[in-house]
Amino acid sequence: MITKEEMEHARTVLGREPTETELGMLDVLWSEHCSYKSSKRWFYLFKTKGDRVTLGIGEGAGLVDIGDGYLAGVAMESHNHPSQIDPFNGAATGVGGIIRDVISQGCKAVGLMNCLRFGHLAKPHNAYLLENVVRGISEYGNSVGIPVVGGELEFDDSYDDNCLVNVVCIGWVKPEEVVRSSAKTPGHHLVMFGSTTGRDGIAGVSFASETFSDEEEENRGAVQVGDPLSKKIVIDTLQELIEEKLLDGLQDFGGGGMTSAAGELARAGGTGVEIDLDKVPLREADMKPSEIGISESQERMLAIVAPENLDRVVLLLEKNGTPYGIIGKVTDDGDYTAKWHGEEKARLPISLLVDGFPVPERIESKVPAQTESMAWFKEPEDYKKNLLDMLGSDNLCDRSWVYSQYDQHVQSNTVVDLGENSGVLEFPNGRKLAFTSDCNSFWCLLDPQQGTANSACESLRNLVAMGATPIFIADCLNFGNPERPESYGQFVESVRGLGRFSNDFDIPIVGGNVSLYNEAEVDGETKRINPTPQIMIAGIFEKGFTPVRRNLVSPWANIFLIGETLPELNGSEYQRVTTGRVKGIPPRYKPEPEKRAMRVIQEAHQKGLIRSCNNVGRGGIAIALMKMALRSEYGFKLNMDYIPGTANSLAQRLYSETSGRYLAEVTESKQPEFLEIVEKHGSSVCELGLTTKEPVADFGVFSLTMEEAREVFSNGLKQYME
Amino acid sequence: MTIAVLRFPGTNNENDVLRALSLIDGADPVLVPSRKGLAGLEEADAIVIPGGFSYGDYLRAGAVASVETITEGVRNLAEDGKPIIGICNGFQILTEMGLLPGVLLPNKSARFICKWIYLKVCDNTTMFTEGMEGRVIRVPIAHAEGNYYCSDDERESLKDELRIPFKYCNEAGDLDDAFNPNGSIDNIAGIINQKGNVLGMMPHPDRAYRPILGSSDGLAILENFVRAIK
Repeated sequence: MITKEEMEHARTVLGREPTETELGMLDVLWSEHCSYKSSKRWFYLFKTKGDRVTLGIGEGAGLVDIGDGYLAGVAMESHNHPSQIDPFNGAATGVGGIIRDVISQGCKAVGLMNCLRFGHLAKPHNAYLLENVVRGISEYGNSVGIPVVGGELEFDDSYDDNCLVNVVCIGWVKPEEVVRSSAKTPGHHLVMFGSTTGRDGIAGVSFASETFSDEEEENRGAVQVGDPLSKKIVIDTLQELIEEKLLDGLQDFGGGGMTSAAGELARAGGTGVEIDLDKVPLREADMKPSEIGISESQERMLAIVAPENLDRVVLLLEKNGTPYGIIGKVTDDGDYTAKWHGEEKARLPISLLVDGFPVPERIESKVPAQTESMAWFKEPEDYKKNLLDMLGSDNLCDRSWVYSQYDQHVQSNTVVDLGENSGVLEFPNGRKLAFTSDCNSFWCLLDPQQGTANSACESLRNLVAMGATPIFIADCLNFGNPERPESYGQFVESVRGLGRFSNDFDIPIVGGNVSLYNEAEVDGETKRINPTPQIMIAGIFEKGFTPVRRNLVSPWANIFLIGETLPELNGSEYQRVTTGRVKGIPPRYKPEPEKRAMRVIQEAHQKGLIRSCNNVGRGGIAIALMKMALRSEYGFKLNMDYIPGTANSLAQRLYSETSGRYLAEVTESKQPEFLEIVEKHGSSVCELGLTTKEPVADFGVFSLTMEEAREVFSNGLKQYME
Repeated sequence: MTIAVLRFPGTNNENDVLRALSLIDGADPVLVPSRKGLAGLEEADAIVIPGGFSYGDYLRAGAVASVETITEGVRNLAEDGKPIIGICNGFQILTEMGLLPGVLLPNKSARFICKWIYLKVCDNTTMFTEGMEGRVIRVPIAHAEGNYYCSDDERESLKDELRIPFKYCNEAGDLDDAFNPNGSIDNIAGIINQKGNVLGMMPHPDRAYRPILGSSDGLAILENFVRAIK
């Protein structure tokens, strides 16, 4: 809700009491969700410019040049609070919202991703949330006909009362068909279309900008309800409107509804708007004007149309049978005016409404320091059992239970589907792009800055391993209540980490979202999520390059490890699985070794030397190798006695999560050339062993069959869900 | 040879089908929105009903689309012996129309399933499988209601009249329950009508027409379909 200070500020600027309608509008637009009032001040730390960036942060989608007259578009957003209350509709409308962001820029939507966080599945409520969130995403995305090409899933107790549902939409557009989110010309019409307006999602953003209380069930009315059929019709209609170049501006109805959509169009165009709320097509007849202004009903778009195009636009809307209303005009007075049957219900200066809030003071407290101590560390008594425990643990096991519910192939552009390091789509110019996302919330909890930068490195390695060159980042920053110094400290540190990474690796951030207030009061205590900065990175392949997968492809090939392995097990999956918790200083962010390893892999890929490749990440070398073998016909035989770095026991070598490492399968004949490249870039390398015809994972001291491993790996989620 | 590719509100595989057909010599695919009614099919020599979620599948999959006016035109072309394929939701619409026997129930898992599967092509020759007899092909599926079911009588006549061109199998062509993704009877993935000119199938040949997509096995089915247009 609007604070006392904000209320005072509004009174002073207006010189009067705000009306009921105005108060509702200010409440929504000054919410954290719409205003970024706690976060925006730190965005200067990000690298946001780049040669390829056509449209950066600030509108519906970021746009990036991918050559031959095509732009890739991307948007990323959270739908956490609604999904906790109503997982099916919350997740479905999250997907719906992110698609709208991308198509409102004129893009065709060609791919979706989702990054999910839940409490452990042993608690039935968490299994219920996972089941229904996945069903919501699946039913919506599948119906609209956009393939899911990437995603991520992590479990921790901290998400018990605050699950996270972050979604990404990817699209493409030709530069001449880009539609901007601005209303530049007074006299142009405001035309809304797509769906009717109802009472669902009233002030959803205000609800998303508060922490949960015991009365959360009462908020069900704040969750929107999705309608993928209407969305598909909106997409088809929009395509016709854009091809005929009939729109001068476009904005989707998202958080904040009409107030936000029209307010932002006017703000961007330096104009004003006058809206007749009584002309809005309604779903429920008796809605109050104040409700119409802030309803977040789904599947609605707001277009700016020049008078000479109005008839043609109306004709196309009628032909496609989509509900629409000509609801107002762009004005030159700089005000947002809302009328109800001619009577003025609200008149607020755009400059006050959109970002005229008083900037709140936020206090950053220091994140508690961790130690280097590894006193907790013990070698496993039974290496084989330990590895099977790791493979079956919920943060490492097979995710196919989730992704087999998503249509990954619709539109026929999917080159690499789910279950690999990245999903790969082919664009109309023939270029292939890879998409991946990562966040290790345990690292981020222990050290938000290093953890965030290192999570970004994992995304980076996912792309590089396949042969792609990273070109842009989108992020979704999920944190606790910014009014608490501890939460705010985590947030600011994490932003610093992402800022460092984007500058160190020269990859621009072109889109994103901040979701704060992800904490709950449970029995009088504050329960806050792990800091969860989701980092999505896209990479592009050279023309004609075939993406390299991680499945082993030949017997008797050498397996090389690139990069040094240090005893970095604090914050690792090994620590979590063997001790039940994480503590200590997590693996460090080391941009220089990371870059060296990256250059090795990139050059070796250019020369076609690597047959399969994997990033070493969560779970270390052992898990990375198992993932290379599990979906292949082959096994491997290793000697772990000599590997570069200071990790000095078998378990440390197997499970250390030191960054900057890759595994590469190289055939005997290519070996000299490969080693030359490693030396040239000054990286470390060792030959870990060979691939074998027998489907057995032989680690020297112990071994297991792939069949045993597969059973445990594939059962990790299923045991709770079926 | 004009091929009408039907789009009902909520159909979403029309572009997959159009792109695949455009690679085949002699094919002239045209998108026909269902609101055009009978007029939309006047020029058509063949029809594809693509996959998707017609009318949101908010009732039973394919049920609303099956009573649209344009389906009368589909029926007429079927009677004239013109080639017709219904893929995924298109198969569901053809069974709802009664052009093909049986129904498509929710998957046994009660969940949507998207994955690559193998199909055993029948040994007898059909309009759509000429030259592929007995082969194992790889195509993806993506559906929530693909569990084919029909009465015992219908099942017998499908068998006796050799009207089951595709069954789910493994890479080696073994037909076993374990390789049946949705619980369909006799591992049925696709069937044809008595005349042999109407095919309904759950798997997507329209998503397996270029090697870069993981397989081009689906193209052969569509090529046969185009060749059959007279």
